Amino acid sequence: MQGLALLLAGAAIAYAVAHWLDLPAVPLLLLTGLGFAALGIVPAELLETSLVLGATLLLFATGIELNPRRSRAQRRIALRVGTIQFVLLAAAGFVAAVALGFGRLEAVYLALALTASSTLVVIRLLQRRGQLFEPFARLAVGVLLLQDLLVLLLIPVVTKLPEGIGAALIGLAATLALIALAFALHRWASTRILRARDSETTLLIVLATLFVFIGISDALGLPLVTGAFLGGVALSRFPVNAAVRTQLASIGDFFSALFYVTLGALIGVPSGAVVLQAVVLAALVVLLTPPLVTIIAERSGFSGRPAIEAGLLLAQTSEISLVVGLYGLIAGQIGDDVFRVIALVTLITMVLTPFVTSDRIVWRLMRSHPLRARATARIPSSGHIVLLGSGTTGMPLLETLLATGQEVVVVDDDPVVIDRLLEADVPCIRGDASDLEVLRRANADRARIISSTIRRPRDNRRLLEFARGVTVLVRVFDERDAGWIRELGGVPVVYSEAAAEEMLKWFDNVFTPVAARRES
Amino acid sequence: MEQFEILRQLGLVVLGATVCLLAARLVRVPAIMAYIVAGLVLGPVTGLLGSTESLEQFSELGIALLLFLVGLELSLESIRGVGRSALVAGIGQVVFTAALGFGASLLLGFEPAAAALFALAVTFSSTVVVVKLLDQRGDLGRLYGRIAVGVLLVQDLVVVLVLTLLTGLGTAGGAAAAEAPVPLPDDGGTGRGVVESLGRAFAGMTVLGAVAFAAARWVLPRPFGWLARSLEAFFIWSLTWCFLFIIAAEALGLSVEIGAFIAGVSLAQLPYNHELRRRVQPLVNFFIAVFFVTLGIHMELGAAADYWLAAIVLSAIVLLGKPLALMTILPRLGYSERTSFLSSITLGQISEFSFIVGALGLAAGLLDDGVLSLIGVVGIVTIAVSSYLVTYNDRVYDAIARTGVLRWFGAETGPERSEPGPPRGHVVVVGLNALGRRLLRAFLERGEQVVVIDTDPSKLEGLPATIILGNATDEAVLAEANVAEAKLLVSALQIEDANALLAYRCHALGVPVSIHAFDPALIGDLEEIGVDHLIVSKHDGIRQVAAELRRAGVTA
Repeated sequence: MQGLALLLAGAAIAYAVAHWLDLPAVPLLLLTGLGFAALGIVPAELLETSLVLGATLLLFATGIELNPRRSRAQRRIALRVGTIQFVLLAAAGFVAAVALGFGRLEAVYLALALTASSTLVVIRLLQRRGQLFEPFARLAVGVLLLQDLLVLLLIPVVTKLPEGIGAALIGLAATLALIALAFALHRWASTRILRARDSETTLLIVLATLFVFIGISDALGLPLVTGAFLGGVALSRFPVNAAVRTQLASIGDFFSALFYVTLGALIGVPSGAVVLQAVVLAALVVLLTPPLVTIIAERSGFSGRPAIEAGLLLAQTSEISLVVGLYGLIAGQIGDDVFRVIALVTLITMVLTPFVTSDRIVWRLMRSHPLRARATARIPSSGHIVLLGSGTTGMPLLETLLATGQEVVVVDDDPVVIDRLLEADVPCIRGDASDLEVLRRANADRARIISSTIRRPRDNRRLLEFARGVTVLVRVFDERDAGWIRELGGVPVVYSEAAAEEMLKWFDNVFTPVAARRES
Repeated sequence: MEQFEILRQLGLVVLGATVCLLAARLVRVPAIMAYIVAGLVLGPVTGLLGSTESLEQFSELGIALLLFLVGLELSLESIRGVGRSALVAGIGQVVFTAALGFGASLLLGFEPAAAALFALAVTFSSTVVVVKLLDQRGDLGRLYGRIAVGVLLVQDLVVVLVLTLLTGLGTAGGAAAAEAPVPLPDDGGTGRGVVESLGRAFAGMTVLGAVAFAAARWVLPRPFGWLARSLEAFFIWSLTWCFLFIIAAEALGLSVEIGAFIAGVSLAQLPYNHELRRRVQPLVNFFIAVFFVTLGIHMELGAAADYWLAAIVLSAIVLLGKPLALMTILPRLGYSERTSFLSSITLGQISEFSFIVGALGLAAGLLDDGVLSLIGVVGIVTIAVSSYLVTYNDRVYDAIARTGVLRWFGAETGPERSEPGPPRGHVVVVGLNALGRRLLRAFLERGEQVVVIDTDPSKLEGLPATIILGNATDEAVLAEANVAEAKLLVSALQIEDANALLAYRCHALGVPVSIHAFDPALIGDLEEIGVDHLIVSKHDGIRQVAAELRRAGVTA
């Protein structure tokens, strides 16, 4: 128990620091492990168990997240962005690794490790910033799914490569067979889990699925990681995945805390050369991914800010990279130092992510970006109505306004929305509604009315200060936000009130109110 | 790759447990029996699995976490309420049952030393079994549940003493201790006096308890309040707290269980214990399943046939004698007939310690293999029977009370405090954000009976509705809200997973449901599940904007 307590205490400190500095927890957990190694107190107890179980549960959880619905609207763009980014970054990584003096197979492992971005870090960041449903977030999530899928499909191929092409192909075929099984379960059987009578049964069925898949992949000669991942895929169907996540969350947290700290301890204190190599490869990821993604996303119709944000979000390597490294190490295909490089790259890039994606950096890049906003030629000069960022939701309103002959300008960053507006020849600007330059372009300060559906309070404040004298309707959810909007001269539109009223209309319609029943 | 041996073992355990559990559900066998049977099949029957170090570690973790969870369920007031009674009843029961066991074993022809070991083996009840059963019934908080847990904790203290003495007695005790499923305090020096170890145990308890209490009062609220927003951080901190106490308990010569329990009690005083319990529960479910399967793997039943008479007698002592002892004591302490009876039958089984006692006896040469199997048989029989008795305890009480035998114990049979019945035909509102608050107000104005569910206690304070603190996706929480008989469930939550599960559960129950589709992208998914109404707040917001525009004279 002492070893376990020590690992947990280390993890507790790492989590507290992560919470304090607002950093992702994974790199700090790894650092704690490194600290343990430096002090020479690596607990042997549970070492292998936490590594093996941690990696397994991690991949299982990744598989469960593999739900394409989240990125449905941006699927095609995500596919394009993801594929091109994956291939180019892998190629660049391979070349860089060879140039740094690594062998072929090691370079393949390094390249594979570099290509995956961290689902864990990105989704957590988006959730905390409340941006999970914005178009660029959907794009990023779509790319993440694609990367995970590609990396995990390639692991069996890569591990079999030294045995020749034939073995690699057999590995691929076996993987495809297992995928077929996973999707069959996903489609036809997985909802049965929801019929389990209690959470204990649900949990055991979920874990049993995991172990069955691991068993099968072992029997097929595939890496266990593939089995764990595909086991998760089998349960990724909505809303099965929600139930599974609820059950698995704390077990996952427990073992992943142990996993990362143990992994950090396993890395040990790296030599100067290893650190240098890691810095070079981390720089490659941080400097190459954002422009790659931004350019392809813009080509596919995204405007400047969301394209830049998506690019910056994806500039780190993943927890999957750690598992890839660990697998190569256990399989004896890469040495300790290659594994250390992979772990350090992940550590560095994950720590950098919150800074890289900060508003300041985004704005700095925006300013130096030539194509930050695109607009139709015809923008009314004054007395018009400006609709800021209402996306597809705002379409009915727009139609009403147009039908009554109003002059309207729509500002939106969703490429799908802008395409439709361009087709209908509605004056619009593709850009970020919080960008003062964009607001100026829309002649917002001379508009008759502005309707804002921007979510971030800071952006709304800026808008209200910019457009003083114009009636600005600001849509907010919570009535407690109404105060400061009024103070700044805006008109709060509290949509939770509207939603409650609509709901109650339905309610009164369907259920005769008790009061009415009493009267009759 | 032997690194993956742990996966094979765990895989077999989990698969076995799942298969047995699913089969057991069909014939209404309690989960514990299913796990033990799975262990028997994997271990003694097929020989697929031996007991290994990793599985032992997992079992040990399971016990620790279970007791941590029990601690989390208890507030200080509820312990104080039954503390004295538990002490009196616990000690009385231990003395009575031990004497009965000793006498019966002598009559059955065992040596005095062996008889003493049997006496110990039948005396203690299983904390793990009882807590799991009570938890499943949701009865840990009921009076009888608290009494039973109190008695178990008193027994645990006695066990610590006994084990300290026994490890000193047994010549090869150390070796047996290493094989036992539960760690023994490692400082059981030979010749230490009973008084001294008793003093040490109580001193240790006092120190730990004082530290825990002081920490809960003055130290913990701040850091935990600060961390409460970060779920994982909060969870890991709580587990660390638990393990620190376990280590401290071991250092003080107390059991792992007592350390984990005290850690749980101290965290239970914080306002976040609901959320924490919800997080710890799946972890406990997993590790405890491993624990019971491992218990099954341990059992060797081969040589028990020779001792069938002893098996029957000892099982009868455990199943009847032990409850009889408690049934005699508890009414004297002022408890009603029903409460006394329910507490008493809850404790009718032997404990995992009984197997340790057996292992120690074997190591010391006091028992032979067959006798160890005897303890195994008694364990299986009593755990099986008592898990049925507890699962259906109300019905058992009614049946027995009708015969009138319980009147001999002279307990009061006055009408029990009637618990308020579950709400019916009510509206359940999930999530008290801006939308939820408005809806709640409107429903109350309409004269509806409303039940509100939220995870944040500060949001629920002083509301004129039935409030339930907890996560709405928990079956237990939904059951408490009696959703099955509600006229409507509304979720105002802006949490994708929770909304999806609520929609699914209500749809499956045939209860009308209205879900907040806080982003229009979610509409398709929710409609697919089948909801009666969607609150598409953003659309409603746009309509409101349109209305504002009309008011401003922009559109006609």
